[in-house]
Amino acid sequence: MSVKTVLLVDDSRVARMMTRRVVETKRPGWVVLEAGSGEEGLAVLVEARPDYVVLDVNMPGIGGIETARRMRAVSPDVRVTLLTANIQDPVRHQAEDMGVGFLTKPLHEDELLAFLGDDAP
Amino acid sequence: MIDFIGETERDAVTELLNIAIGHAAASLSQLVEDEVHLSVPFVDFLTPAQAATRLEQETQGADSVAVRQHFRGHFQGDILLIFPEKRSLDLVRHMLGDEVPLDQLTELEQEALLEVGNIILNACLGSLANQLHTPVEGSLPTYVRGRGARILDACTIGGTGGQGEMVMFLHVDFSLLKKDVHGYLAFVMDILSAKHFVEAVQAYVAAQLAG
Repeated sequence: MSVKTVLLVDDSRVARMMTRRVVETKRPGWVVLEAGSGEEGLAVLVEARPDYVVLDVNMPGIGGIETARRMRAVSPDVRVTLLTANIQDPVRHQAEDMGVGFLTKPLHEDELLAFLGDDAP
Repeated sequence: MIDFIGETERDAVTELLNIAIGHAAASLSQLVEDEVHLSVPFVDFLTPAQAATRLEQETQGADSVAVRQHFRGHFQGDILLIFPEKRSLDLVRHMLGDEVPLDQLTELEQEALLEVGNIILNACLGSLANQLHTPVEGSLPTYVRGRGARILDACTIGGTGGQGEMVMFLHVDFSLLKKDVHGYLAFVMDILSAKHFVEAVQAYVAAQLAG
């Protein structure tokens, strides 16, 4: 069981705080990185090579869907999920087409933990 | 008050909103770990000035905080989540938990309310879009503080200084059962968008009845 790195990309600091709290509580020892935009998230991805990315959709700049697409291109093995308040079916379908997860806000702890797998240290 | 829709359409709009706002209430309930009580939604056709007066009466003339999101698609308008200002910090405290110190809580209040609005308003819009099978694109939420007229002034409807054409005003009250926090959720659409919205609802009802 190894320590993993999770990158949280969300323009809302509060949203990042709430997700971070779950990761730090349920996966103690894991490294949590944060980015406030898709552009920043891509830069952190290249530099830090996280194992997991949790990505908001509605953000200023390139937005979560496009960010996920670019992350896939840069780092095909990284596990990515959207975490969004936008529950519309087309967004869900785009996530499925890209092979990324789709989690809805408010965050359901069990769903996030399922995405993070059984890698608890 | 002038009425632009018949009894059946009004009933259908109310039912669709009930479901959409039910999704929003479920999200709010999860965020604050409390049961959310909802009023029956009401639909009125008002001038922007009348809508502001209505809101002012319901907030008893006090300042409120609101999260507003503009949406567009087959129909467009604004959706607002409104809380009395004096209760908004309580809501944020319930959401972030007691471990966050008060000074940090105050600093985070606006951002937290924006995130609450983002979740609640998108749950409502997303449910409507999914039910009507029509995509609705929402803007990033914005934060407004002030009395009813100021909050509605921030909307992009009308454009006639509050005196001109009618708007469709859809409104539901909600309250948290144990926490003495209440608020309002409102849709504001101009008449052309309201017409498109009602047409979409009619098509939805017809499809449902056709099985």
